[in-house]
Parts: sequence; structure tokens; C-alpha cells
Amino acid sequence: MLLIRTALSIAIVVCGAILLTEMFASIRMAGIRVLPGAVLGAAMVALGAHRLALIARVRGGRR
Amino acid sequence: MEKKARANPELRRSVTPWGSFSWGYSDVGADIFVGLGLVLAAAAGASNVAFLFAGVVYVCIGLAYTELAATYPVAGGGQYFVMRGLGDIFGFIAGWAVLLDFTIDVTLFAWTSVDYSSQLLPSLTNSVHPWVHFVAVFALVAGLCLLNVIGVRESTAFNGVVSALDVLSESLILCLGFLFAFKPALLIHAMQFNWPSPYQLMLGTSLAIISFVGLESISQAAQETQRPASVIPRTSVSLILTILIFALAYSNLALGLQPWHPITDASGHHLAFWQIFTNNSDNQGKAVALLAAQVPYYGALAALYVPVLGAILLLISSNSGVFGSSRIAYAMSSSNLLPALFQGVHRRFRTPAVSIIFFSSIAVIELIFAAIPGLFPAAASFYSRFFRGENGLDFLADLYAFGAATSYSFVFLGLIGLRLTDPLSPRKFKIPLNVGMRFRGERVEFPIVAVIGFIGIFSILLFTLRTHVLGRIFGPSWLLLGLLFYLAYRRYRRLPVLQSVQRDWRNDQTEILRRSGELELMDEYLANLKASDQRRASEGSGV
Repeated sequence: MLLIRTALSIAIVVCGAILLTEMFASIRMAGIRVLPGAVLGAAMVALGAHRLALIARVRGGRR
Repeated sequence: MEKKARANPELRRSVTPWGSFSWGYSDVGADIFVGLGLVLAAAAGASNVAFLFAGVVYVCIGLAYTELAATYPVAGGGQYFVMRGLGDIFGFIAGWAVLLDFTIDVTLFAWTSVDYSSQLLPSLTNSVHPWVHFVAVFALVAGLCLLNVIGVRESTAFNGVVSALDVLSESLILCLGFLFAFKPALLIHAMQFNWPSPYQLMLGTSLAIISFVGLESISQAAQETQRPASVIPRTSVSLILTILIFALAYSNLALGLQPWHPITDASGHHLAFWQIFTNNSDNQGKAVALLAAQVPYYGALAALYVPVLGAILLLISSNSGVFGSSRIAYAMSSSNLLPALFQGVHRRFRTPAVSIIFFSSIAVIELIFAAIPGLFPAAASFYSRFFRGENGLDFLADLYAFGAATSYSFVFLGLIGLRLTDPLSPRKFKIPLNVGMRFRGERVEFPIVAVIGFIGIFSILLFTLRTHVLGRIFGPSWLLLGLLFYLAYRRYRRLPVLQSVQRDWRNDQTEILRRSGELELMDEYLANLKASDQRRASEGSGV
């Protein structure tokens, strides 16, 4: 279960990072309009990282 | 001791971290089912920007609630925090605004639950069969009231299952939607050529905040969670980010969605997906189901189950309005902010029956007011003349936004007040960005995020007053009536009218921490108090 949760959390971080990169790449074309997408990407990275930190704490506790 | 415990029964603290998350999710997560259509109709090409602004404010509110609920895990939520931080009268105003929100919550979510059901049962469509729609919503409200009086409420386990299914379903809709139906060019086009007027953008932003209402559930979960100071921050941060991600993702997807089945207007012109919500309250009430049905391939399945899942989630949220209003009224009554009548417990069922029936009745009055123009076409001209034609969902959303913006504004002020007046309570979670300073001889940390959040939510309150005709009239009227009632009640009871009743917050806080199982924090608190008293004594004696 912990493995699946870790994989999902990593997937969320990766998706968020891709989205952030895409948004910054198209900033010249779309300007400020990329902001909602960029915040979405940042929120995904933050959620994934938060989940990973919790999982790391659980693993640390087990050891 | 045993007798005392029987006289003041405590809530059993048995909610797990997932239970705490799902409790909040089933309350706040349902909001996007209501808010998406309304915001798309109001803010058009800037809907994602409206959600972004409201979302940033919501993150600040969520962090504030997390800190407060982890530090003071008691019944009452926002009303308690404000009363403790700013005094009784402000606590009453915040609590009264929350009560407005809870009563609207009951009607609004029952209304949209029926709207989602109408996707599969067209006879429930409001514009076609207004009486059937009205009777269905009324039956749901009355049914929930009855269930709460006899003491049946949704179990944490049921909440957990529905929340898990919903998170899974929404993630699938978004993943497949972005993979197969999202066209960035459509999003850019909508933002470029359908940017709304400042008025419409303000309207959209004030409606977007209703997608983030229900954070009271964090404090409700806190009082039933063992060791809340540790558990609540963990689950709340996940909850806040999940809701923010869904809101931003849905609004971006809706603006850039290439519909699976072409959508045309009456004259055969192709429409963008988000345009189906303009001036169509039937569609606004079931936006997520309509969006899910437009996802290629998966939409065929989603069209069948998303309306059902949405209707169930919305019904749970409606129930939390019935349950929450009675609990807040009970807490306010215990603090002498409302008459003891609201603590009245049913002899047989042991539930706060008076509060449940009273606030459910207010929900029914709101339902009648919202539904009248649809039921009696003759009344529509009156609404057009005096209320700019606002009714139904618009009326409910207006008041919901007003109540939320008012209560959240006070919660930020309450947080700042508590940081200044109660620096000795241990805070296992603090909102980031604090400035150290001295206040009344104690070292305190002034929360910058609370100031930013207050400015944000106060602007949304101003947007609501500026753009919502009904919210502007009925929201302040609700507060004014409540305030007059409060003043009369305090005078009648010979309690301080504008001042606060004297309370021993030190003992209260020690007891709160003991009851919640936070014994280490209780020891830390007692040590802080002792050190502070010794310092003051030595300063007083000039040593």
C-alpha cells in the first residue's frame, strides 16, 4: 500500500513539474495567461512533496 | 466524577487521519460541483483566473483554520476562535454568518443534488418541471431534518468510501480530459476573446469562493480526532491542496475542452463547452456531470455514474449543513451568545432537536424564496424589477458567498487577535511568514499571511456586495436582525451587552488539551504559563 502511495505521489510531482515547465515555456506566447496553469502545476508539486514527506515519516517511524 | 461526565458527555475521539480528510473532503469537495457552472457563466474566459484568486485566498483561510483547529480543537469552529480572539459580540457575528452559510448549504446542496439527478431523470429539471423540482428539494431538506432529529447521521466510514470514489473519479475525469479533450489553443482563445468586463470578473470571483466553503469541517473533525494537533495539520494540507488542484484543473479544462459531441446553439452555430452555462441555470447546477460526459470514450460511462456520485456527495454536504448548524447553535448557546433554547435536547433521541428544526425551517424559507419565480411566473416580474431577476441558484449562491466571506474575514481577525492575546498556547502548526515582536510584555509572532488573506477575503466580500443584488440586501439584513436579537438577549439575561463575559481561558485551554489527548502540549502550556507568571512577578517586584 505504501509503495502504491509513493508511486502516486511521485506521479503527482512529475505531472506538476511537467505542467510548470510547459507553462514557463509558453510564457512568451501567452503572457500572464499561463498563471492559473503555473499555480496548478506548483500546487501539484506541493501536494506530491507533502505526501512523500508524510510517507517518509511513516517509514522512519517503522524503523 | 462519573456523574459529572454523564452530565457533560464528551464526543468520542475516534476519527482517523483518513476519516478527518474525508470529513473535510465530503464537505468542501462537493463545492466544485456547484461552483464550476456558476463561475463559467459569470466569468467566461477568465473563469480560471477567478478560481485562481479565490483559490489563493482559500489557501490562506485553510492554513488559518488548520492552525486554529490544531491549537483549539473544540466545538464551535470559527465562532469560537473569533469569540476567544476578539470578544463575544464579534464571536456572535462570525457565528451568525456561519449559521447563514449552513442554512444556505442545506438548501443549495439539496437543490444541486436534484439538478445532478435530473441528468438521469429529466422530469426533475427545474426549468421544465419547477414544481417537481421544488417538491424533490423540499423532501430532501425535510428528510435530512428528520434523520438528524432521530439521530441518524452519515458515518465516517460512509464519508470515507464516497470521498475515495469521488477523488478517484475526479482524477480520472481530469487525467483523461487533459489527455484526450484538452486543446491549449482553445483555452488561450477563450482567455483572449472572451475576457469578461471587470464587473463580471468580480461576480465570477465572488462566486468562485463558494467552491471553497466548508472549512468549518476541519474544526469539527478536530474535536473528534485523537491528538488533533498532530493529525489535523497533516490531513488539512492534503485537503487544501487537493481542492485547489481540482478547482484550477476543472476551470482550465472547461475553458480548453474540445467537446466529444459537437455543441450547437438554436441557429446551428458551434459553441465552446463553457458557453453552455451562459444564462442556463439547469446546466449551471450540474456542470461536472456535463463536463465528464464530454470526455472522449470515458464520457459514455461517466455520463451514467457521475450524476449519481455528484448527487450523493452533494446530499452528504447538505446533511453537514443540518448537522453543522445545530452544533454551532449549541456551541453558541453554551457560550451565552444564543438563548439556552438552542441547547434543547430531544428527550428520546438525545439530539439538539430545537436547533435542527429551527435552522432547517430557515433553510425551507430560503428554498421558497429561491423557487418562487419558477413556481409562480407572475412573481418573476417582481424579481426582475427589484432583484435584477436573480432567483433559484443565483439567490442561494449570493447568500452563500456573503456568509462565507463575512465569517472568513472575522476568522483572520480572530487569528491575529489570538496570536497577540494568547501567545502562550503551544502551536504545533503555524501558518508561514510570521514577524516576531513584543506585545503586552510577551514575545508574539504576527502572522503576515493572515493579513494577506484578510485583504483577499475582504475584497471578495466587497465584490459580493457590489455584484450580488440579493446578497447585498439579505446578507446584511440577516446580520442586522441577528445582532438586534443578540443585544436584546444579552440585556434580558443581564450579561455584558457590548463587552464579553469573564472566562478563565487558562483553565479552559488546559482542559481542551487534556481532553484531546495532547498531554505533552498541555505540559508545555502549563510550563509557559508558569514561566510567564514568574517573569511578570519578578518584573513587578523590580528584581
